[in-house]
Amino acid sequence: MKLVRLVVLGAVLMAAVAGCPETAAAQQKISVLTWNIPVYKEKIEGWIADFRKIHPDVQVEWLDKKGPEWGPFYQTQLVAGTAPDVIDVQGGLWLEYAANNGLVDLGPFLARDPEVKDYYNPRILPSWNYEGKQYMVPFYISKTLLFYNKTMLKEAGLTRPPQSFEELVDFARQMGKGEKSGFMTLNFDWLYWPLFAMNGVELLSPDGKKAAFNTPSAAKALDTLAKATADGAVNKVSWTGRWVEPNDAFASGTVGMYQAHAPAFFYVRGSGKWISADTLGVAQMPGGFATPNSHGFGISKSSKRPDLAWDFIKVATNEKWGYTFGTTLRNLTGAPRVDTRILEYFQKEDPLAYSVLKTQVENLDKLVGNWRQAKDAQIKEAFYTEIQAALLGRKPAAQALAEAERKVNRILQR
Amino acid sequence: MNVARRWRRQGVIWLLLAPSLAIFFLYRIVPLGWNAVLSVQKWSPLRPAEFAGLYHYEEMLLHDDVFWTSLGNTLVYMASAPIGIALALALALLVNAGLRGRTVYRAIIFVSYPLMTVAVGIIWRWLYDEKLGLINYVLIRLGLVERGIAFLDSFTWAMPAVIVAAIWQIVGFFMIIVLAGLQSIPPNLYEAAAIDGADRGQRFARITVPLLRPSLFLCLVLGIINSFTSFDLIYVMTRGGPNYATELLITYIYRAAFVLSQLDYAAALTVVLFVLLLAVTWAANRATGGEAGAVEAAE
Amino acid sequence: MRRTPTWPIHLVLLVVSAAMVTPLYWVLKTSITGDNIFAYPPALFPRHVHLYYYVDVWYYIPFVRFLVNSTLVSLIVVVGNVVFNAMAGYALTLAFRGKRAVVLLLLSCMMIPFQATIIPAYLITKELRLLNTHLGLALPLCSTIVCIFVFKAAFDAVPRSLIDAARIDGLGDLRILARIMLPLSTAAVATNVILAFIWSWNNFLWPLIVVRNQEMQTLPLALSTFLSYLENTTGALYAFCIMVLIPGVLVFALAQKQFVEGLTSGATKG
Repeated sequence: MKLVRLVVLGAVLMAAVAGCPETAAAQQKISVLTWNIPVYKEKIEGWIADFRKIHPDVQVEWLDKKGPEWGPFYQTQLVAGTAPDVIDVQGGLWLEYAANNGLVDLGPFLARDPEVKDYYNPRILPSWNYEGKQYMVPFYISKTLLFYNKTMLKEAGLTRPPQSFEELVDFARQMGKGEKSGFMTLNFDWLYWPLFAMNGVELLSPDGKKAAFNTPSAAKALDTLAKATADGAVNKVSWTGRWVEPNDAFASGTVGMYQAHAPAFFYVRGSGKWISADTLGVAQMPGGFATPNSHGFGISKSSKRPDLAWDFIKVATNEKWGYTFGTTLRNLTGAPRVDTRILEYFQKEDPLAYSVLKTQVENLDKLVGNWRQAKDAQIKEAFYTEIQAALLGRKPAAQALAEAERKVNRILQR
Repeated sequence: MNVARRWRRQGVIWLLLAPSLAIFFLYRIVPLGWNAVLSVQKWSPLRPAEFAGLYHYEEMLLHDDVFWTSLGNTLVYMASAPIGIALALALALLVNAGLRGRTVYRAIIFVSYPLMTVAVGIIWRWLYDEKLGLINYVLIRLGLVERGIAFLDSFTWAMPAVIVAAIWQIVGFFMIIVLAGLQSIPPNLYEAAAIDGADRGQRFARITVPLLRPSLFLCLVLGIINSFTSFDLIYVMTRGGPNYATELLITYIYRAAFVLSQLDYAAALTVVLFVLLLAVTWAANRATGGEAGAVEAAE
Repeated sequence: MRRTPTWPIHLVLLVVSAAMVTPLYWVLKTSITGDNIFAYPPALFPRHVHLYYYVDVWYYIPFVRFLVNSTLVSLIVVVGNVVFNAMAGYALTLAFRGKRAVVLLLLSCMMIPFQATIIPAYLITKELRLLNTHLGLALPLCSTIVCIFVFKAAFDAVPRSLIDAARIDGLGDLRILARIMLPLSTAAVATNVILAFIWSWNNFLWPLIVVRNQEMQTLPLALSTFLSYLENTTGALYAFCIMVLIPGVLVFALAQKQFVEGLTSGATKG
């Protein structure tokens, strides 16, 4: 009986192994990894179809991972040497790879196809420029702006959005009575930085080798925010929430002002019944400062066919597909020709969305929170956890900044 | 037994052990070795390795307060395992009291265990929600609080909240283990003790607990192992926050490896975690007069 | 023995059962009504029951495909566990040189957390050419140390006399294992089956890393799909949780009796 068992087991194992897919034979293949757009499946198949018109003998493997899973997946693939050829990366994660020679320098490609270089917005391309090399091109872009609840503003006797940091805090205090709060912000990926930029705070020294944020004005700003949070003028969720919580809070109509990027608007509008062109105001943050949180396309260094990868990127970001993407998923693409058409579309179809999206391409010279530091992820973590402690009243502002400075300097030295 | 037969016997024994040992070798020992080697190097997937000695350990032990916080949290978390076990013991005693419907109770209490830990995290996150959560609703209705408590955002409540969810998931499993242990204690031992004049408490302390030792040890070991799978729970419920209040060593390892892209540092943390767990298990083994001890004695 | 009144015990157990079941009840209720995702205050009983979320789950992901994958993988894991663990457990009941070392080795292997082994495990699976296969998904789980000791304990409980008689009859070790030990240890087998099934069915991180093409994904991976595009939870998520839960509960229900007995012989003998 035992023997029979073993034989059966052996057979099962053999069958399972036999079912193992053969490694790709003569077929060329490239793989594309996108960041959390599974809903876009049909259109991506359109990209693939168009790409295959140019390269009929190339297979395209499309993978998509959500944010938290993207990291482990890509890291493992990197170690195994099978990183996807084309990657769509959000925010600053690309810096780590670029700094470690993991991404292909797209400069030569752009130079080779000059019409493509002028195609992408020259004010936005620098976001992905590290040590003189261009590592990514824009896929879709976003940056922070200030949303405000016109009704709450009116009730507090205010007539316009704030135009300075002091006004911001002041207005927040006026609106933040009882269950309501006056101001809230997203906090991931440096999105809160405009609050510091407004106070003239620099994160690092110009050579990028030392922390430069431990200044009296930074301490004062942090302290002001901490007090405002303790008093309920600034909503605590700003510092403790991720994505869902702040959006839900704003959607509930109890927060006066909200610093977030355009995608947040579309989320909030879905669940915020009060939102309409009459009740939702859209403005730039005081000083016009904004942190970008864009998605770019890049090519992994380990790619065996970077030229094919580049061709794929060109297809995915061309006018036809850029326009489709922008109008379907309601983003701008970072290509001025396409963005103009997208804005026109929304101006007709959805004026409120238009007003939001318009801000995404304004003040591109005032972008902050997007330092090209190889250790961006670690610096961000170290800095934010310290100031979070101060903002939630666990530590005095000065102490938090000092400790953050110590940690960041350590990171930069290692 | 002649020498040839003995050799053949040894051969058969190793053959029997071979498949399991092969799997553990490939999927546990080799990875541990990889981590150990990596922990003394500076490396990233795109750069060649350079030997770095105790560089990471120095950083960890002397300069990294997140490490110490997560270490403390891990110990706290592990210390909560006895709570779950004690609860399970109590429940098992109740269920064992010769009731009708015992099988039903057993099944109901167990049903939380087969649930995906990620799902457990999502469910509890929702239950703890400040505005929409059931728990706050009940607390408010009972008049215990005036407004909802943001459990998972609070420095004081986050860890207990996560521990409650973890215990919820595993208590049924522990209960069944202990119940089985209880049911195997011969009833005549109790009768004899009762005749000798021992009261309830003495019977419990002198008979039940010692004979349950192996079950309890098994629960402890499983509880420790379970603290790894609680990775999912923490990741979903709090991501280690707020401000590392619920960051365990295991979540820190994951974050260092995949979010902060510091695979070499994560490897050093792994080695430390492994040593810690060995130490804890050894101590637990001693404390319960152990399973492992009995194994060795059986040789 | 004094008779204790049973109703207080029932009361406590009912309260505890309610506490254990309430979260699940809540999930079940939401999966069939969609209340409480947005509504507040929560309603105790379901209103407007519908099964749309379950339909969503069925159609939104290739549910059947994932179910098949999960089942195949779990099947391999369960069979592997029973066979390999029984073999190893039996070996541990015999005396041999190096036994102490093996036992210590096994005990320490238990202390290696999976998250720390992902990358090397991936590389090894790649070398074995088992990426994206059911076997590759199953292999790391095909033997578990806890279950080896459960078998060992069960085998230790088999009366010496039976074994000696078998040896005198000239039966080899494998035969002893198959003809005598296993039949007397159905409880340990049941334990192995239930635990191996639950652990492999719910496994999330390993398939995430090892599976590249969508067709090989297992059920838990689909979970993130229901945390939708904008990271909000949808009603389908709750239906999904219930659907994934059911097989585990079923396996437990079927093997319940023997599972409990399995832990009896496992636990007390040490």
